[in-house]
Amino acid sequence: MENTFSVGLKNNIAPQQEYLLQGSIVDLHRDVLLHRLRGLCDNADKQPETFSDHEMVFVLRGATAQQNPVLFRVRRSLDPPDDPSWHIRYLGTSEIGDKNRHTLVRACFDVACSNNVVKFLNEMGFRSDHEYCVKGYFFHKGRMKVTVSKIYRMVQTGTPDGNTQEAMTQSSLVELSVVAPAGQEQIADDMKNFAEQLKPLVQLEKVDQKRLSVQ
Amino acid sequence: MQKEEKQLESSLADITAKVADIKNALASFLYKLENEFATLNWPTMLDNFALISSNMNSLSRVLRGDKIPALRNFTLFPVLLSPDTDQELAKLTEGRLFMCNHEVVPDYLRTKPETEVEDKINQLHTKANSITSDNAQKQLNNLNKITSNILDIINSYREEWDNDSKQKTQQPQTSSQSETNTLIAAISMGKGLRLQSQMPQQSQQPSPGMQQQSQKPMPVGKMQSSVKTTIRAGSAGHPYPRP
Amino acid sequence: MGVVCVYFYPVPEGKSGQQVVDGIQKQIELLGAVKTGNFCVDCETFQAGSGIQNTPQRQVNILHSSEQPASCFAILDTGTCLVADALFDGLMQKLKHYYQQRKGSKIESKGQRYEYGDFIFKVGSVSQASNFKGILVEIEYCPCVVAGDCMNLMKEMSQSLLGSAVAEQQSSFLKTKTDMIYTPADTMSQYLEHFNNFKKATSVNQAMNR
Repeated sequence: MENTFSVGLKNNIAPQQEYLLQGSIVDLHRDVLLHRLRGLCDNADKQPETFSDHEMVFVLRGATAQQNPVLFRVRRSLDPPDDPSWHIRYLGTSEIGDKNRHTLVRACFDVACSNNVVKFLNEMGFRSDHEYCVKGYFFHKGRMKVTVSKIYRMVQTGTPDGNTQEAMTQSSLVELSVVAPAGQEQIADDMKNFAEQLKPLVQLEKVDQKRLSVQ
Repeated sequence: MQKEEKQLESSLADITAKVADIKNALASFLYKLENEFATLNWPTMLDNFALISSNMNSLSRVLRGDKIPALRNFTLFPVLLSPDTDQELAKLTEGRLFMCNHEVVPDYLRTKPETEVEDKINQLHTKANSITSDNAQKQLNNLNKITSNILDIINSYREEWDNDSKQKTQQPQTSSQSETNTLIAAISMGKGLRLQSQMPQQSQQPSPGMQQQSQKPMPVGKMQSSVKTTIRAGSAGHPYPRP
Repeated sequence: MGVVCVYFYPVPEGKSGQQVVDGIQKQIELLGAVKTGNFCVDCETFQAGSGIQNTPQRQVNILHSSEQPASCFAILDTGTCLVADALFDGLMQKLKHYYQQRKGSKIESKGQRYEYGDFIFKVGSVSQASNFKGILVEIEYCPCVVAGDCMNLMKEMSQSLLGSAVAEQQSSFLKTKTDMIYTPADTMSQYLEHFNNFKKATSVNQAMNR
């Protein structure tokens, strides 16, 4: 039997490319942005949906330099806290591309999984690298997803609660993303147009993460 | 002598033509103002002004031209004054002047200001001459000071207004590039998210593997290298503690 | 979704696998069960290379079941079973520098699926690299989710269908989970146990033939 994944790959319907634009908004003006997003996105009649996640980044490292470390990002929802849903996210190296492409593109696998994933990854040889909490709002416009979220540093590892977190900055991270099957380049244009509508409140850009690591 | 007369005649014709141009431009502009004020827009207004101004310019160019004899050397005096209506005159002036009598001639052929005005000018002249040069200098300085003060005030106000209008069109700073970078570096590479206790190890142990890597010019290597070093610190005995 | 027991059905000397499968299917059809298509459970094994820091060399088995077509079951040799979206296969590809797929390790159980009231029967021929390995029969009792509560009922059904010799074998795995909520991951663990037994038997046979 062919498994679902290979069928998905063959027919090019498996979503595995993430198109991404990033920016940030100062907390003081966040509500203005939320208001605008609510008007621009689907379900304008409803209150914006909130989310609260705990992300643990695990890394599998080889003994030799030839083996590039592999990062798996495990996320669970803290909201509601008693029944978290877990998933693993793998992100490839982001491509900046040329001027004609308006967004970052990177490989992206989102895999929902059972709640024993931390144990499973540890036994596989993964080690925890860092973790953080992310809380905020998300919006949908068609298949575009917009999140406005604050990143919290964990003061202690383990179970996150209000006392063990501190906000990283006085700004919220704004991300506009679409996860789509490979080769759907036109989505980047739609995203560019959408990002234009958020100016000058937020400048959503393709941010070169390689450049940031050099700084 | 005859040559001069001919020259005068032809230049008069020139002048009349130019004046007629000005008159026509003014007339059509006035007509527009009166009849088309509802649809008239600013660019057409400016066009009309420009037309008149260019007509004035060409008139003054003609007057200054070499071909024109010095007009001030000619005298004009009325030969005949008549209280009767003169049809010919009315036609020439397009109905503005019907007779050439003693009442209108002083106005039309005046070369000096009116006597009252002349008196006033003379008074001012004597007053100006009576002031000492020191006094005059003082007053001049005062005036300059006042003018420059006013100029300063106007300029500062203008700056204020400019800033105001800029702020109105330009949103206040709503996002910060440095914060964006901090956030993205945090979520993509864990920068600043690792626990404090792990940080010193990280800076003390720049592993040889990492140095090798960063020398490689490959595009992926650079990012990977930074991830790697920070990870080594994290993995040195801090597996995620299971609840 | 209920409780599942997977039984190993031995092929007697002098009979082919297909003959035995036909026999079991006839038995099931005689009961009055209805054919409801085919089923397939497959398993691939990934072996850790030597290059992972601070970790013994683990084995990851990736199982899929036609009963849960959107899921993927990853079972470590420690017994930990991660249930994930089928896209997990893609994640395994990203780990190919650390976990290599064993050549020819793919083993699967394929066959006919039957429904009979609250029961589901699956008769599968197990093959590895297109070599016939043996027969696995799966019996599922749908209305129950706790194995301990329906063990006797299952035993009775398996006895009448497969004979008491087969019914006596009970998965060691299932014994430890008698009072917990039963999940599809438990079914996959049973299959993995049987698959591993088949592989072991093969290597023993090969050793004996040498």
